[in-house]
Amino acid sequence: MEVSSVQKLCIELISAAFQRCRVAEDLCRLSVVLKSSDSSTVRISISDTGIGSCLEEFQDLKFSRRIFDAEKWDGLLLIRTTNIYDDKIYHYHLNLRESKSDRRLTQLPSNPKNGAKFSGSEVYLSIYENIAVLLAEVTHFFQKLLVLKIPNVGIELVTEEGDTPRSQCANVFLANECNPLAFSASNVERLKSGLQDYVLKHGNSLRRKCGSCFPSWEHLKVGSGIACSTGSHRTGRLLMETVIVISEIAETTPCLRSSSAKTEVVCLNDFSPCSIYQSSLTALTTIDWKSYGLVLGGVVDQGGYTVLEWENLPPNVHIDMVFHCYNEHEQIKWPPLRKKSQPGRNLIKKTVKLALDDLKEKHAGMLLSAHALKICSYAPDLARTIAGLIISSNDSEFQGECLSVLGLQSQDIGGKHVEAYIKEKIISVIEMNDRKPQRSKEATAFLFEDECLQDEEYDSGEYMFSSLDF
Amino acid sequence: MEGNSPSSDLLRKIREFTKSIVKDLNQGRSPLIFINRFRNYCSNLDANCSCSYDASKGQEILTLEKQCHAHRINVLLRVLLIVQQLLQENRHGSKRDIYYMHPSLFAEQLVVDRAINDICILLQCSRHNLNVVSVGKGLVMGWLRFLEAGRKFDCINNPNTVHHIPVLVEEVKDIVSVANYILVVEKESVFQRLANDQFCTRNRCIVITGRGYPDISTRRFLRLLIEKLSLPTYCLVDCDPYGFDILTTYRFGSMQMAYDAKFLRIPVIQWLGAFPSDVEKYSLPQQCLLPMTPEDKGKTEAMLLRCYLHREVPQWRSELELMLQKGVKFEIEALSVHSLSFLSEEYIPSKIQGELHL
Repeated sequence: MEVSSVQKLCIELISAAFQRCRVAEDLCRLSVVLKSSDSSTVRISISDTGIGSCLEEFQDLKFSRRIFDAEKWDGLLLIRTTNIYDDKIYHYHLNLRESKSDRRLTQLPSNPKNGAKFSGSEVYLSIYENIAVLLAEVTHFFQKLLVLKIPNVGIELVTEEGDTPRSQCANVFLANECNPLAFSASNVERLKSGLQDYVLKHGNSLRRKCGSCFPSWEHLKVGSGIACSTGSHRTGRLLMETVIVISEIAETTPCLRSSSAKTEVVCLNDFSPCSIYQSSLTALTTIDWKSYGLVLGGVVDQGGYTVLEWENLPPNVHIDMVFHCYNEHEQIKWPPLRKKSQPGRNLIKKTVKLALDDLKEKHAGMLLSAHALKICSYAPDLARTIAGLIISSNDSEFQGECLSVLGLQSQDIGGKHVEAYIKEKIISVIEMNDRKPQRSKEATAFLFEDECLQDEEYDSGEYMFSSLDF
Repeated sequence: MEGNSPSSDLLRKIREFTKSIVKDLNQGRSPLIFINRFRNYCSNLDANCSCSYDASKGQEILTLEKQCHAHRINVLLRVLLIVQQLLQENRHGSKRDIYYMHPSLFAEQLVVDRAINDICILLQCSRHNLNVVSVGKGLVMGWLRFLEAGRKFDCINNPNTVHHIPVLVEEVKDIVSVANYILVVEKESVFQRLANDQFCTRNRCIVITGRGYPDISTRRFLRLLIEKLSLPTYCLVDCDPYGFDILTTYRFGSMQMAYDAKFLRIPVIQWLGAFPSDVEKYSLPQQCLLPMTPEDKGKTEAMLLRCYLHREVPQWRSELELMLQKGVKFEIEALSVHSLSFLSEEYIPSKIQGELHL
């Protein structure tokens, strides 16, 4: 992908530093310092204690002409890096504005490590940009990055305005801060936990969960789906993970959150936030949301982010969604050997459906299809009638048998217990039917496909002539 | 205490059915309600069809997976609850009574009728076993005397007096008759014509009408008379597709109640008229004939495909074919073109004496 603005350049460099930390097996620190001495220049330092960097990472960056035309960056990067087995720290001066590639790189004198064993990098650049704009962009990036919940990386973001040390402001982003996860957790487990934190902390804008919106953890329901593309063994398969969180916000919350009718899809690609998958708009439009009781108003591309608009969500219910796609061979390597690849439409659809099915499976009554809701509307009547058949029977032995089947006591026969209990059972059966995978439901439907047609036939046509069998 | 009566047997079946539903629900399964489907005819004329009056043809399985099934189960259980009460209290109710117990749920009488049929199939019984009766619309007159629940119906005293056919046919006892045959007429107007003409004074017979499509009581009563009296039975219907369909309902039963056809059909009934071929034989003028409508033709074509006509009464079928070929129909009353009493004095006696029935 081409880097088209200085903000994007910073994000690319920060993301690379994060990946160097991620693939290191140790605890790592990523530190981003933004310093502005006047209102228009920001000096940026991105340092990490991850595996050392290689120059190709920077040399291979592709820039659009616009970034230089905008006159916001001189094209210079100062790089210091060392690998764990290096005996010195290398210094480089990289001029990416230089069109001749052999003139771009200048090696500066290196520093000895004096036998110390460590690794890390620091990238330094200076740009002409408003520090507040850059800060907002970087903060937003970290808020999304935390959804990956990579536990071994601690992030700090420091800003200094002017030369006075009092103006310093530090912000720390820790993945494992409020809801710790074992280091050994799988990627999807991390993503699930990460999205929950993201929701509870209002898009990671808070350090802790919002107590007024979420008095308890039970208000979150999580579902996940994983699928992979059929790639070759050599190139590796593309893994796609989708996590969906449905949250119920306390109705009396003083928080003014964004409208529940919208869901911004957090997109992650190769362990880094990205704006949008090209195929996601069509994929999301063609999902049969109705079979999960949801009415989709539309899928829109809002400034590079995918936003789903819902038509029938209760005001206190919110849906959050994250996509993560990565190559199975590349997940523990840096820099990647291959270009980033995006998931196809079917892969996205498949994981979203799996995640929705997972939610249905785990939470009774959740995401019931419009069809099941209609059948559920018969439950009170059915329950009353079945209870009536038991209660109005003049055979007490039969009544006792029914009660014992239901696990009720004989004194329950009088009240509304029997009816309420049967109603509960009917609803749970309907919900269970609705949770059956679509394919098996279709197969069942096919077996008796013509039943409802027969019903119509029964009531019309020739048979009608003899319908007056009084 | 319940004895070993048919109603106690049905109550036991209802309880078992309820228990199986409760068990299914408790085990987290949708109840499966198997309803056998019966057909008393098919449209398979080429091969030997397998239509029979005892065996079901396939099954419907109602579950909670479909909305239309959920509604049917709901209606079925609601009617079953009413039936259970009727049987327990040894009371009778009409289909209309049942409809008015939950009109908003049932929406129309047809829905109740169908649920009653489903229940009969489920419990393997006839409708009257459920203590569900009709208001009774059949009429009878002639050389007949019987008791119904202790009440005496003495038609012989005045054979041209019209009596209602009893609703509780199982309570009919002590049937006495000196009639030579039973005449079934489709319409009340014809029945009244015969009463006015003192038909039964001059002819030793019993006359019955179901007033259109016959109800169950009429057909069961007729079957009972035939069973007890072993009399030849003739049927007189309009020469149109509806008249013919009513004739087949007497003889073969209706498709709706195919499950019970073996107890309702009257295989010995013979078609006395009016035949399409009577137009020439009785010199009916053109103005008495009505052109068949497209609906009439469609219905006739559909009826011609019924396997039982082909198999059991090919002559009936030939007459029906003739009707379609001619494209005209006529009512029994059209015979009055000759004289008002032509039907009672000429037509019927000549047909019976000449054995001009099919």
